[in-house]
Amino acid sequence: MSAAAIETSGLGKRFGGVTALEGLSLQVEEGEVFGFLGPNGAGKTTTIRLLLGFLRPSGGSARLLGRPVAHGAVGVHADLGYLPGETRLWPQLHGRQVLDLLARLSKRAPTERAGLLERLTLGDEVLARPVGTYSDGMRQKLAIVQALQCAPRLALLDEPTKGLDPLVQQAFYAILADARARGTTIFLSSHILPEVERVCDRVAMLRAGKLVSVGDVAALTRAARRRVVVEFRDDVDAAHLAGFGEVTSAEPRRVVLMVSREKLPALVARLGMMPLADLLVEQPSLEETFLEQYR
Amino acid sequence: MSLWGLLGFQWRRNRLPLLPMAVGLGLFQAILSRMAPVPNESSWMSAILAAVPPQLVALTGSDIAAVATTRGFLAIGYGHPIFLLLLGLWAVRVSSGALAGEIGRGTMDMIASRPVPRWHQVAAAFLVIVAGLVVLCAAAWGATTLGASVRSLGVAATAFLPIAGMGLLLFAAWGAVGLLVSATRRDGGSAIAWTSALMSFSFALDYLARLWQPIAALRAFSLFRYYEPTRILREGLNGTEMLVLGSVTAAALLAALVVFQRRDL
Repeated sequence: MSAAAIETSGLGKRFGGVTALEGLSLQVEEGEVFGFLGPNGAGKTTTIRLLLGFLRPSGGSARLLGRPVAHGAVGVHADLGYLPGETRLWPQLHGRQVLDLLARLSKRAPTERAGLLERLTLGDEVLARPVGTYSDGMRQKLAIVQALQCAPRLALLDEPTKGLDPLVQQAFYAILADARARGTTIFLSSHILPEVERVCDRVAMLRAGKLVSVGDVAALTRAARRRVVVEFRDDVDAAHLAGFGEVTSAEPRRVVLMVSREKLPALVARLGMMPLADLLVEQPSLEETFLEQYR
Repeated sequence: MSLWGLLGFQWRRNRLPLLPMAVGLGLFQAILSRMAPVPNESSWMSAILAAVPPQLVALTGSDIAAVATTRGFLAIGYGHPIFLLLLGLWAVRVSSGALAGEIGRGTMDMIASRPVPRWHQVAAAFLVIVAGLVVLCAAAWGATTLGASVRSLGVAATAFLPIAGMGLLLFAAWGAVGLLVSATRRDGGSAIAWTSALMSFSFALDYLARLWQPIAALRAFSLFRYYEPTRILREGLNGTEMLVLGSVTAAALLAALVVFQRRDL
């Protein structure tokens, strides 16, 4: 059995009196595309920096590709690709010089570079220019190339589509699909929930430095409360339905509720005794699930 | 491999300003060679220098009797604030830009996420500092050699090699101190400020202690105390002084390695 690509146990980080991450225990399997969700300040970037050994943990431990992560140790870094949340490159270097430098430091041949440049439409003319002349989007494209050009076994991507236009985002999703097909494990931190829902097998949600939930996208949304929209032929009192869930909107002939899966059968039975005109039960999107977690 | 990669990267980033600095230093030494008194002009030069306030002569790290000779005059160039400033500028620029500068610009993440041991970053920066100092000292010595031979000043240019070597050692020590400061800071600006302040304080301490007897004993605490061009010219290299500068360099480098290895990025 192969080792997990990422394994953390009680991982935590405090900055002075502020707890940025607390007791994070997580396992990401090899070949998986794993989404890491949370609002600003939830601890996503801190987690990635702990995994990279940039920060010394206040508690717990982590392993990457079967090897323990030690502060300042770089043994596993030859197998990693990393895209920081804030892309900063050397403005005076040309795009190609940046890619050459980082490939050389990676100690792996940039076997994927040509394909990535083509898909992200970064031509020779662009690569011959100093990075300081790039737009935000071009800089982000170059950052994606540097992260994936050496075919890493594990890619840690922090907000990878920030600054990309929708067309390039589509190209990026295709790149992720190819990387995954090659067996690359992808750990993707993002605010863009439809993106996570689209590309990730599993997601973890973080709130105020603590893990709120983890699971596959379908299971998480399945476990979340349903949005039930009920329309009646006659006026009804919404208070009769309040015991089944949370009434979010109440009009004389239309009621909207959030109901757990367990209470759905009882609700339907109750509605059968009322002047029901129409019934709609919606499974929430990941975004709705996410928002409900943070409400 | 990553050490060579970083070395090449640091060198490419810093070599551009090195050229005008080397040319400037060479020109400065060439001008001094042009102005240097030939042996039969020494008494005339002594008369002129007698009118110069001793505080100004002390700025060059020499005394009037030494400066009035051809060799002594040429040695001024190696203790002159311009020489010290340019070598100091190089040491501060590279040391501050390499560690704290990369962190401040956010580019450290790109390097640190590669299989590059942190000590490689410190070592690469130090080697680039030394390489640049070699270029600057060679430019100064080359100009002295050329100037002395063109004017037939009758001095052996090799006499100035130990001075240039000691100058290199002094600023290698400052480079190591700069790397230690840089390893503790989060941006290049504050690293530049702290290292420059330390260097200026050390220079001022040496200067004042030479002029004011009550604090003369404090000179030992200034790195500039261990670099006196006219004395090196007169007495040759002093093993203890070399040992002090070498020890400070080694200790500061070691401390920089430990601090940078242990710190959060």
